[in-house]
Amino acid sequence: MAERCAVIGVGQTHHKAKREDVSIAGLVREAAKAALADADLTWSDIDAVVIGKAPDMFEGNMMPEIYLAPALGAVGKPMFRVHTAGSVGGSTALVAAHLVKSGIHKRVLTVAYEKQSDSDAMWALSVPQPFAAPLLAGAGGYFAPHIRAYMRRSGAPEHIGRMVAVKDRQNAMRNPYAHLHLADIDMKMVEESMMLWDPLRYLEACPSSDGAAAMVLAAEDALSGQYPPAWIHGTAMRSEPTMFAGRDQVNPQAGRDCSADVYAQAGITNPREQFDCAEVYVPFSWYEPMWLENLGFCDLGDGWKLTESGATAFDGDIPWNASGGVLSSNPIGASGMLRFLEVAMQVRGQAGEHQVDGAKLALGQAYGGGSQFFSMWVVGSAKP
Amino acid sequence: MPESEALHAEHHLEYPYSRSVGPVIGAFLTGLRDGKLFGVTGAGGTVIVPPTEYDPTTGDDTGEMVEVGPGGVVESWAWVSHPLRKHPLQTPFAWALIRLDGADTAMLHVVDAGGPDKLATGDRVTVKYRPASERIGAMADIEAFVPEGGAGA
Repeated sequence: MAERCAVIGVGQTHHKAKREDVSIAGLVREAAKAALADADLTWSDIDAVVIGKAPDMFEGNMMPEIYLAPALGAVGKPMFRVHTAGSVGGSTALVAAHLVKSGIHKRVLTVAYEKQSDSDAMWALSVPQPFAAPLLAGAGGYFAPHIRAYMRRSGAPEHIGRMVAVKDRQNAMRNPYAHLHLADIDMKMVEESMMLWDPLRYLEACPSSDGAAAMVLAAEDALSGQYPPAWIHGTAMRSEPTMFAGRDQVNPQAGRDCSADVYAQAGITNPREQFDCAEVYVPFSWYEPMWLENLGFCDLGDGWKLTESGATAFDGDIPWNASGGVLSSNPIGASGMLRFLEVAMQVRGQAGEHQVDGAKLALGQAYGGGSQFFSMWVVGSAKP
Repeated sequence: MPESEALHAEHHLEYPYSRSVGPVIGAFLTGLRDGKLFGVTGAGGTVIVPPTEYDPTTGDDTGEMVEVGPGGVVESWAWVSHPLRKHPLQTPFAWALIRLDGADTAMLHVVDAGGPDKLATGDRVTVKYRPASERIGAMADIEAFVPEGGAGA
């Protein structure tokens, strides 16, 4: 993969509980048109389209890439649909990046979305399937025991999850696109919210959102756009099965391998020092300290201490999820792409009120399924 | 007895979905409820029926809604001699591609012609709506297209 690749356009919708004013096509076009405008391009400038979303059963729109091809200007062009559960927004961006890095295409449009109001994703995740272990009460019910295991292992005190829930919602107040704008959020409000899946309370869980994200990726000789390019310094993806004996779901091997790979490509030996910020898939509060350890931002068992110290806050030394993260907007299929898109915005200097001062190098991470799919990229303002 | 027996499981999946149709398809469906047919202008001034939010060839936004029909021309058709229970008509009918007056694309619907010998490609047909009180904003608000001049069944 000899070619350099950069993000030259980004676009996203205003994420909301219900976007009843648009169809699914209208939703994805809103993000795609914003990305094209940011890149100073039109539909005809695009060579290929890569689309991603979470399981089709979430909207009951089977193989939506068929219906969305003309809506995304893909007629007469290659179009790919990617699917890796909740990490899909990240892996979709990676497939698009690889089409440019391999020298096959000059400009690729990549789009991810979810329209959760067309159904109820939590129950779509909970349908018992024949001959398979039941997932029971949605994603939160699946992850809560792993969070308890983390707390037991690390000795983390109970308030750490609440701190993340407050921090990310405060960050969202700086992001006009975020679904949740909870001006009065504080530790007490989180503590008094309903217990959903012990130890997760209502305000420690992500919302259900309608929304879409889009980016235009380009080769070095096809740059354009309103802002400087965000150069891609590394891309990696790793997978493992949902369930097998001895699998560590608290600190999955696939996540560790994925970060080792992307760090080696980008020359990262000390992520906390070298990155200026990170956007990491934290759909439930406790996944911040868990992923701090999995991504090597600290030693094993110290993730919660980093959170507690304020290091990951907007004014900390390594801000995590300055956009408000998945805890503030969760159009599932797009949630991973939003992480990748937000770090591109940071190193391009276009993040507005949630801009991390002088951000030059940043990590985007998405995970999905039962903590079994990991996708990551490193973007920077300097050419790799 | 077979040498091996596959596992079988009962699995009944029932699950509610909704759809927001957006401003363009929404206007088309509202038109049906009100007894009017609408298309939309695409690239180069073509009129697309049923309307789309985007030009299907260029991807650009489509333009103004324009009223079309109520008459049109049968471009192609297939006769159904033995309708099934789920079919829109319970008497023999034609599935047909109908290019409505003022439209540049054809729309799929049914023609109640009375018999395959009473329908030909190029024939003119006109819309027959259900009574206003029964219309809900759906394709089935059109009961059928019928031969212009009332030659049908």
